[in-house]
Amino acid sequence: MIDGQEVTVRKGTNVLEAAKLLGKDISHFCYHPGLSIAASCRQCLVEIEKAPKLTPSCQAIVADGMVVHTDSPRVQEARRQMLEFTLKNHPVDCPICDKAGECILQRHYMDHDHRLSRVDVPKVRKAKHKDIGREIVLDQERCILCSRCVRFCEEVPKTAELGMMFRGDREILDIDDNRRLDNPYSLNVVDICPVGALTSKDFRFKIRAWELHATATTCNGCATGCAIELHHKDTRAYRIVPRLDPDVNSYWMCDAGRMTYKELDPDLRIHHARVDGETAPLAEAIAEAARRLRGKRTAVVYSAVETTEANLALAEVAKVLDATEFLARRPEGEVDDLLQDADKNPNLRGARRAAPDASDHMDQLALEIAGAAYEAVVFLGGLAPLSDVARQRLSSLASVCITDRRSELSDACAIVLPAASWAEVVGSYVNRQNRLRVLRPAFPPLADRRHPADLLHHLAVALGATDVPDARAHARALAEAYESDELRALVDAAEDVRPPLLRWAHMRG
Amino acid sequence: MTIGVKEVKLERTAADQIFLPAILEGLVTTARHFFRNTFGKGQPGIDTIRYGEPDVRTEDYYPDRYRGVHRLMYREDGTVRCVACMCCSTVCPAKCIYIEAEDRHDDEEKAPRLFVIDELKCVVCGLCVEACPCDAIRMDTKTHMTAVETREEAVLSKIDLLKRGAPSVAVQGGLGPDYRKLQPDRDPRFPGA
Ligand code: SF4
Ligand code: SF4
Ligand code: SF4
Ligand code: SF4
Ligand code: FES
Repeated sequence: MIDGQEVTVRKGTNVLEAAKLLGKDISHFCYHPGLSIAASCRQCLVEIEKAPKLTPSCQAIVADGMVVHTDSPRVQEARRQMLEFTLKNHPVDCPICDKAGECILQRHYMDHDHRLSRVDVPKVRKAKHKDIGREIVLDQERCILCSRCVRFCEEVPKTAELGMMFRGDREILDIDDNRRLDNPYSLNVVDICPVGALTSKDFRFKIRAWELHATATTCNGCATGCAIELHHKDTRAYRIVPRLDPDVNSYWMCDAGRMTYKELDPDLRIHHARVDGETAPLAEAIAEAARRLRGKRTAVVYSAVETTEANLALAEVAKVLDATEFLARRPEGEVDDLLQDADKNPNLRGARRAAPDASDHMDQLALEIAGAAYEAVVFLGGLAPLSDVARQRLSSLASVCITDRRSELSDACAIVLPAASWAEVVGSYVNRQNRLRVLRPAFPPLADRRHPADLLHHLAVALGATDVPDARAHARALAEAYESDELRALVDAAEDVRPPLLRWAHMRG
Repeated sequence: MTIGVKEVKLERTAADQIFLPAILEGLVTTARHFFRNTFGKGQPGIDTIRYGEPDVRTEDYYPDRYRGVHRLMYREDGTVRCVACMCCSTVCPAKCIYIEAEDRHDDEEKAPRLFVIDELKCVVCGLCVEACPCDAIRMDTKTHMTAVETREEAVLSKIDLLKRGAPSVAVQGGLGPDYRKLQPDRDPRFPGA
């Protein structure tokens, strides 16, 4: 019984989560559903009947017949006082704080206190910008000592770099002088820190949180396919943060995956079609590509980085051209038993589904191109590692590259078609668990860029194929095959849905 | 509810239709003020400002809260007070403030690398001044944007804005150390303070 409403929960649920089921957000700092419970901030106090004192709701396990008041005057006053205590030595330098706009301390202040400061003695000063790791800067003044970051380092990557030192108003969060916060998951502490004490060097001072839009999509860093939110303003991406997916990545993601947004930089992208080095209108470039490809001995190269839709569309083209099939992929990389997979391709399984017989031997393709075994090659993505000799041969062949950004390969090909990136399409990957992972468009593809599957669809039509599905039809078929309501809803959505501003989407943390 | 159309007839006399009487009436009013202000004592409470003449400074005439061209304030050490918090550019209804932040590498941490105001787009609402938490941007220059030949000249850079600036020592964070003395009875939590 919470505030007069009956609620039944699974055994072991705490009062805070039970209240959340009723839509009541009990203010809290130190509790994080992905970590152990510290009950140190006392911001979540509630009144439980028959209990002698106010109880921290994050720690109180729901019991039969429990009667809880989350909003009584006594509770409100206790929370306000706790908040004032937390703010006592807080520098309140929101104007220069990266967390401003998505800060939990700011939110609770607005909800619970909203009064002038009573502090009339100098605040305790601590280290303001301490470089503690590859990606992280620490501001000890802003830290509210909730210990979320400490528990994260102990429990998730199990590296335990951070710790609390000293006591009372001198207590600080710190790191050993001879250690660095360099674990591959370090940036998660920036997300879970309820305040701006831990900030990301990469994101620092780039933009204010309230200017960002958030699109829920999928990381393309490795075969895990973590659920992420891409934060962007207009058509520029600024950062990636993890999104809760209990089956795949829980609340976390790796640092390497967060940096994949950098590939979306407009300066690296291809905006218009090119034919023999000259910019060309898209329709003409596709017609020209079809004219050059027709009736040639062709190789097609699938990509384990592109969506399943694009690979399926390439399979249609390969069928028309009766082409030899190859599959390009990224080399293997960092691996651990948490999230990072050695397979750095987000969609190896999806590409295999589209092209079960494609050969993995890219060196053979390079040799064959160099030895003039093919008159034409179609590349999906700019990935294929070719020898210099093979690359030089490409410009004299009917070579077509469908890619979203410039690469050695796209520079070498005779015809380049501008593809939309993973942040601009409705698409899907199949991850290492054989789950369908959905890509949602954050912004529309500008200039001549199109969904790669649509480009290939037009190419197949120009080559004389009839009845070939386009990107939407491929996506719909995949949604049916994997019974994914998420993808189905996305394909059936009438037009683009504008992603919500972060400031309306609820604060993170 | 249904929406109907109601016809309203405009009453226009012949005199209204030819406009001339109204124009003459206006001219007479203008002339009356012209002669009264030039040769007579003028209207009580209304000064004629000889704007543009060499010894006339608009600063002497404009009220204190007049919203003029922006300026940026600086600290005692000469660096800009602005911390690139983007409050002004966020609140600006004309979206005419563009700021890019940089790291100062000291305890003040953040400063604008670029700070540009397009005075042609500005609607002189003063919201940016209102929003600034650092007393960094002000519109108290009591000058207005002068006529310019190209648009670029009306786009003021950080340097332009700082040239108009002055040092400010305003402190942040509520009422500061004198809280109890300044507001003894405002706060019931300090009964006897
Ligand atoms: S740095 Fe952040 S997460 Fe860590 S204890 Fe301080 S407030 Fe909590
Ligand atoms: S583990 Fe893989 S999928 Fe997950 S965030 Fe890192 S790179 Fe991306
Ligand atoms: S005065 Fe108004 S319109 Fe002009 S810069 Fe400031 S906020 Fe923008
Ligand atoms: S509001 Fe003030 S401190 Fe913030 S960016 Fe504007 S001028 Fe700078
Ligand atoms: S959230 Fe319960 S004590 Fe901190």
